Amino acid sequence: MITAERKSMEELINCVSPYRRLLLVGCNECVTVCSAGGRKEVALLSSALQLHFMKEGKPFEIKEITLERQCDPEYVEELVAHIDSADAVLSMACGCGVQEIARRFKEKPVMPAVNTKFMGASERQGVWAERCAGCGDCVLGLTGGVCPIARCSKQLMNGPCGGSTKGKCEVDPEIDCAWQLIWDRLKALGMTEKYEENMPAKDWRTGRGAGPRKIVREDLA
Amino acid sequence: MSFQKRLLSGEFVVLAEMNTPKGVDTSQLIQNARRIKGRVDAVIVPDMDDGVMRMSALAGAVLMHQQGMEALIHVYCRDRNRMALQADLLAAYALGVESLIVVSGEDICNGDHQEAKAVNDLDELGLFGALRCLEQGSDLGGSELTGAPVFSVGCAIPQCADEKSLECQLELAAKKVEAGAKFILSPPVFDIGRFQAFLSKAKGLKTPIISTVYLLKSVGAARYIATNEPEAGISEELIRRIRKASDRERECVRIAAETITALKGLCQGVRIITLGWEHKLPDVLEYAGL
Ligand code: SF4
Ligand code: SF4
Repeated sequence: MITAERKSMEELINCVSPYRRLLLVGCNECVTVCSAGGRKEVALLSSALQLHFMKEGKPFEIKEITLERQCDPEYVEELVAHIDSADAVLSMACGCGVQEIARRFKEKPVMPAVNTKFMGASERQGVWAERCAGCGDCVLGLTGGVCPIARCSKQLMNGPCGGSTKGKCEVDPEIDCAWQLIWDRLKALGMTEKYEENMPAKDWRTGRGAGPRKIVREDLA
Repeated sequence: MSFQKRLLSGEFVVLAEMNTPKGVDTSQLIQNARRIKGRVDAVIVPDMDDGVMRMSALAGAVLMHQQGMEALIHVYCRDRNRMALQADLLAAYALGVESLIVVSGEDICNGDHQEAKAVNDLDELGLFGALRCLEQGSDLGGSELTGAPVFSVGCAIPQCADEKSLECQLELAAKKVEAGAKFILSPPVFDIGRFQAFLSKAKGLKTPIISTVYLLKSVGAARYIATNEPEAGISEELIRRIRKASDRERECVRIAAETITALKGLCQGVRIITLGWEHKLPDVLEYAGL
């Protein structure tokens, strides 16, 4: 899933303060799962903003709505009924959702309420970790199911750097060294011959190397 | 005789590491280099080691050549993409650099420009691939070169905290040898017994091993390594020896020199790293009888 973290109250207050009527839009997908921008977070942020502006004695109206999927035009269309009564939109979805609203409602200022972080998985309650960098040419089959692009700090393709220590990454002892994980797993699987192979220099065009990407499925388009 | 020739003829090579200045005043570097001219086979110029911005290694190598000394430079993928790497490799060869060491390059997060974005377009194996390609007369894009370089390239095996990571690093070194590494730099040696154990494991690589000797600068430095990298093998006895010495600096120089002497029959050379004390190199060489 796509993970996100809510921006600080200070930053949010700053960005919404020029507006009197705000439409606060959550999303029912990834940001709900990572507790950053689902229905619950929308309600919490809405109350906090109202309380703040009430204390300041500033007139402020806020309308809450949580869409099924903010990155999907079909659901974004539901905002048509509410958009005219708002001066601006504060979106609690990931960057994709924010941009979808901006694309649909060109005349309305749209602001992000969360910082979109990475594609990751939940490690345990309240902890999410990066797992995939969307490189467009997946090598997990060769690396024991551990991604060297997203999980090795140097995106190495052939083995650990000199900084790998006791299974931890040189960048931060809290980070597992991806290459130690890969090696351990290939060994456990009896697949060390995969490690002995020299992986060719990565062609970054399948990733961000060749500009913004698009998928076109002729069968569906 | 050049470093390459000595290496090929199986002679013991002596390399000394010298960092370029952070700034344009090269007088200290040149002065330190002159003092060891004729006493080492070549100087190794690291390139922004530890992620600290300084004059490029290539400039350092050219400065060494101007003093009539051979220089090897570090190359790594942190700061340059495959185009910049190839361009600098061609430049290096044209300016007289014949030997290189492919290293992994410490991460930017530990350096002095922590806001910078690391490149890491290629990895070390990818860099070996680029070198091979250039040597065969074309670039990575497939275009033909007008004149191809020929390098002698080495790699390094880092200090490994446990058997598991050593195993993984030895496998990786085997890939580098396969990809063209002609010599291997060892982790720092403080204990000959441990080094011999390392050598027996690295024997399978069938590649000349050049050992690494650090000049410990103080009891504090020795203690720091002993605590943080116990696998380096700095013993309490060694720390005590420095602490008890009437002239601690001289004792550190002696320890480095004794290590070099002990290494002479064991491997194919030594790289001396003084960690900023390049001015002590003549003394280290003197005590080591070099
Ligand atoms: S190899 Fe690429 S696609 Fe596969 S998990 Fe890693 S970044 Fe994602
Ligand atoms: S320590 Fe491991 S994860 Fe970190 S940069 Fe090196 S190889 Fe990659």
